[in-house]
Amino acid sequence: MAIESEYVIETQDLVKIYKTGKVKAVDGLNLKIKKGEIYALIGANGSGKTTSLNMISGALFPTSGNIRVLGYNVPKHRRIISNYIGIAPQDYSIFYDLSLEENVRFFSRIYGMTKAEFEPRFNELLNILRLEEKRKALAKNLSGGMKRRTSIACALIHNPRIVFFDEATVGIDPVLRTFFWKYFHSLKEDGITLVITSHVMDEAERADRIGLMRGGKLIAEGTPSELRNKHNADSIEEIFIKLSEGVIIDE
Amino acid sequence: MSKKDVDLKPKNLNFSLRRTMAIAFRTMNQFRRDRRTIALMSIVPIVIMLIFGLAFSGEVRNVPVIIDNQDVLYTNPFPPISLHLGPNITDNLVADDGVDVTFGNYDQGIDSVELGDVYAAVLIPANFSELVVRMLTGENVTIQLYVYIDATKPTIRASVMSTIYDALDSAVGDRGIKLVQILAHDGAEFTGLDVGIPSVIAFVIIFLLVIVGTITVTREKIQGTQDRLYSTPLRSSERLLGYVIGLLLIAILMISLTLIFGVLVFGVKVHGNVFLLIFAALIFGIAHVFLAVFLSNFAQNELQAIQFAPLTALPSMALGGMLVPIVSLPVWLQPLSYVVPLTYGINLFEGIMLKGWGFKELWVDFTVVAGMCLLFFILAVVTVRNRMRD
Repeated sequence: MAIESEYVIETQDLVKIYKTGKVKAVDGLNLKIKKGEIYALIGANGSGKTTSLNMISGALFPTSGNIRVLGYNVPKHRRIISNYIGIAPQDYSIFYDLSLEENVRFFSRIYGMTKAEFEPRFNELLNILRLEEKRKALAKNLSGGMKRRTSIACALIHNPRIVFFDEATVGIDPVLRTFFWKYFHSLKEDGITLVITSHVMDEAERADRIGLMRGGKLIAEGTPSELRNKHNADSIEEIFIKLSEGVIIDE
Repeated sequence: MSKKDVDLKPKNLNFSLRRTMAIAFRTMNQFRRDRRTIALMSIVPIVIMLIFGLAFSGEVRNVPVIIDNQDVLYTNPFPPISLHLGPNITDNLVADDGVDVTFGNYDQGIDSVELGDVYAAVLIPANFSELVVRMLTGENVTIQLYVYIDATKPTIRASVMSTIYDALDSAVGDRGIKLVQILAHDGAEFTGLDVGIPSVIAFVIIFLLVIVGTITVTREKIQGTQDRLYSTPLRSSERLLGYVIGLLLIAILMISLTLIFGVLVFGVKVHGNVFLLIFAALIFGIAHVFLAVFLSNFAQNELQAIQFAPLTALPSMALGGMLVPIVSLPVWLQPLSYVVPLTYGINLFEGIMLKGWGFKELWVDFTVVAGMCLLFFILAVVTVRNRMRD
């Protein structure tokens, strides 16, 4: 079933039309993301980034188009790939009435990890994410940045091969953001593929490749330097504004 | 120390009506966008008023009773008096809509009372008219009328007794005739509080499980944890079962506390088998856990979720025989009582706790509750989601 491919994520003419709205939230998206890449999906709010992630992760079913993740068809084989992907959603999606440790343990159990597998991995993550002191704290009492890190710990507990960070660095102070990016690069060195969405354009400069989304479509794609050269711009933000032709975007 | 920015004036420190109104409008806007809440807020009170209004209109009525009139015509030689009072009494009872009279044998009537088919069996003795005549001629006699009555429902008992008194009074006048009450179910007589407990137990199981259940499941949606789990290996059946087990543990805790509280604090005596009672409470609880999981499909937030509790509990209260006996409801409303789960819950808990009934007498109710379990389970399974809403 799994076909060898240099791409770990491929989408082909991916379309999503929500029943509640007649608009195409995602409109013919063709993505190809390589193994071990840090791919930044950049776009304004409502440009279809999260919808795309939800479809790629198998939580949301596409209206039409094909998705392959790690060579498997999604959503058909979503249960297989679900063990190899981790998601840190935009809204944290952690249990506020549980402690940090209980949250991460819950997800480890969902991934079928034993206690013996959980303990060392959890301690490792606590150390990396600098959360040791808060392991017993209730999630609802954590600061925004800590909730974010808890959510990331939940996404990584089972050593996934692909990790989706949806707006992971939004609302995070610059020190923590720098720390996150360093961490993302260390994950990349371990061969993990990262897909990061953001509406903060300068974030994208730190990624290997960038996809600019607007109206559910990919309007530009390439490495940061490729994009700058092609569009003769100094920053990704400038490119985005150029491509948007000065129109105020609020999709 | 860093220098304070002189341009940065302290502001927004005091109470502000503008901010207050901003919150007020936000709250109103929340309802403006939530049309269903508006609909429910306006329709539910009407429905509940209607149901309760109908249920409370008038006193207890149409209580089924069996009357055995053995009284015979008595003719006194001197002074010449001829009396046959029995038919006068029964005519009065038939005319009164407080009771619904069937004529029959007293002994069979007793059995019917024990089985719960009727609430009272009345015996007018063969020498009733004779004794009245002898009393009128100055003899010192005791005149008795026997009423074999189900005393587990005090409202019904009081109503039946007063109806009989009235019938007797208008037939014979106030002659100091004694009504002998024989209490059914081994003389089980209960004060209002005792009698209320079984129905209260059934009620709180419904009310609290539906609240706790729907809110728990709905909270998952709000926190986003439900959506997140769609991209994990978790199966929808595991999710469903997980909810049910989790809620059932809460239910067991709640049911045990209710039972213990009822027995220790309110002094309710369990006349039947305690284990059968616990079993009944459990299957009744499971049915409502399934119901709650099913209902939570239709709630997008906690406010909508909490509406299901009064929506299920209040009509049950009115129709399930908790406040007013089912027989006293308007006839066209009575069929509704048999679709309300509370009816069967009350039957089970009252039967086991007050009347000392076992499975033999309660198998119909057990079967219905088990059937409800299955129905709600199927509804929950059919509607459980395995992916995000389109």
